[in-house]
Amino acid sequence: MAAVRAVHYINQFFGQIGGEEKADIKPFKQDGPVGPGTALQKALGSEIEIVGTIICGDTYFNENIDTASQEVMDLMAGYQPQMVIAGPAFNAGRYGMACGAVCAAAAERFSIPVITGMYEENPGADLYRKQVYVVKTGNSAAKMRDAISAMSKLALKLARGEELGTPAEEGYLDKGIRVNIVFEERGSARAVEMLLKKLKGEPYQSEYPMPSFSRVTPRPPIKDLKHAKIALVTSGGIVPKGNPDRIEASSASHFGRYDITGIEDLTEDIFQTAHGGYDPVYANQDADRVLPIDVLRQLEKEGVIGSLHNVYYATVGNGTSVANAQKYAHAIGLELAQENIDGIILTST
Amino acid sequence: MDMANQARIKEIAEKYGSENVVVVLGGAEAESAGLTAETVIAGDPTYAGPLTNIALKLSVYHILELKELVDPQVYEDQISMMEMVLEVDEIVAEMSNIRDELMKD
Repeated sequence: MAAVRAVHYINQFFGQIGGEEKADIKPFKQDGPVGPGTALQKALGSEIEIVGTIICGDTYFNENIDTASQEVMDLMAGYQPQMVIAGPAFNAGRYGMACGAVCAAAAERFSIPVITGMYEENPGADLYRKQVYVVKTGNSAAKMRDAISAMSKLALKLARGEELGTPAEEGYLDKGIRVNIVFEERGSARAVEMLLKKLKGEPYQSEYPMPSFSRVTPRPPIKDLKHAKIALVTSGGIVPKGNPDRIEASSASHFGRYDITGIEDLTEDIFQTAHGGYDPVYANQDADRVLPIDVLRQLEKEGVIGSLHNVYYATVGNGTSVANAQKYAHAIGLELAQENIDGIILTST
Repeated sequence: MDMANQARIKEIAEKYGSENVVVVLGGAEAESAGLTAETVIAGDPTYAGPLTNIALKLSVYHILELKELVDPQVYEDQISMMEMVLEVDEIVAEMSNIRDELMKD
């Protein structure tokens, strides 16, 4: 039997072109496996052959998702792929987004199995897990060996057309698909058994896992708004012109704090947005649209609020992982707590 | 190991011959020391750098393993402070494991 023809997608870093300084390169192809593809090929043996590799810069892909996807698909078409493998992207946000988008586009254009690998918290995992097999990996390239082994196992199963087990058994993120299974015991007996285990404090596995939402307990209302000190925090990327802290347009790695003493209005000559996830034209024209300093100054004058805190905090929410967002929120909260703030208004986009 | 260091080590090994190069590490954690050792023996385990698929098989040790070879005064001045705070046994065990596993074939 001839080997299944696979095309592998990787970014500029794993394509050994370079790091962030090369992240804007356009997609190009190279015959055969490259970088992690060589390890994949070893694990895939003779059943799947990586006939070509498409390499594309993360920034280029994410800033031009539609055209970049199209370009990658056109390059892939030349190889007549029977399977597409992307990544693994670990916890690299933009790489994960690209891997997810490439796999989804390839599945649609060529109607072939597609597979990628990511850390569970990669924003690309959440966005594409329903369309694409996303194999769970560690959060950094130090876990490459495990990732290659897990991805190649699943790829071989898909290539052979074997029936897949549950996501937990196969090591991929669940796609939200429900399958009927016939059990020996009826539901009531299984439920009682589960309950008994729970009462005894023994481990048990629910047949219907609930999504876990983290709940934030609402703070008590502000009693005296007229004397309250209010702070502004935004994930909408409003920064002083020139983005002095170089907050990233996507998957921000930090937040900034900016003094607004004496500033009544955010005008386009001194403020802008650093956010890469929405059309920046209107925020650049008037940053108050995202971070309403003008209105709060007015409320301050009218005596509706006591005062506006002289520092605001900003990051970019675009593609930023929940874990990182929580980390920044915690750090910002600690700083504001020391300033005796009574209330925070968080604006998004 | 970062790209620049991989490239540097590759160049040095090519210039002097692998058998004439010894790599001494100073990493503070067993896992990172192990990954670095793996890189200079069997190739870049992340498949991203210049040493991807290049097994230089260099001799590699952590400085904590070489205490007896170092002038006691120099060791005292440069290393002893870190020796107190690092997980020495863990680092040494990881280094031996990686060498045993990867140097034999």
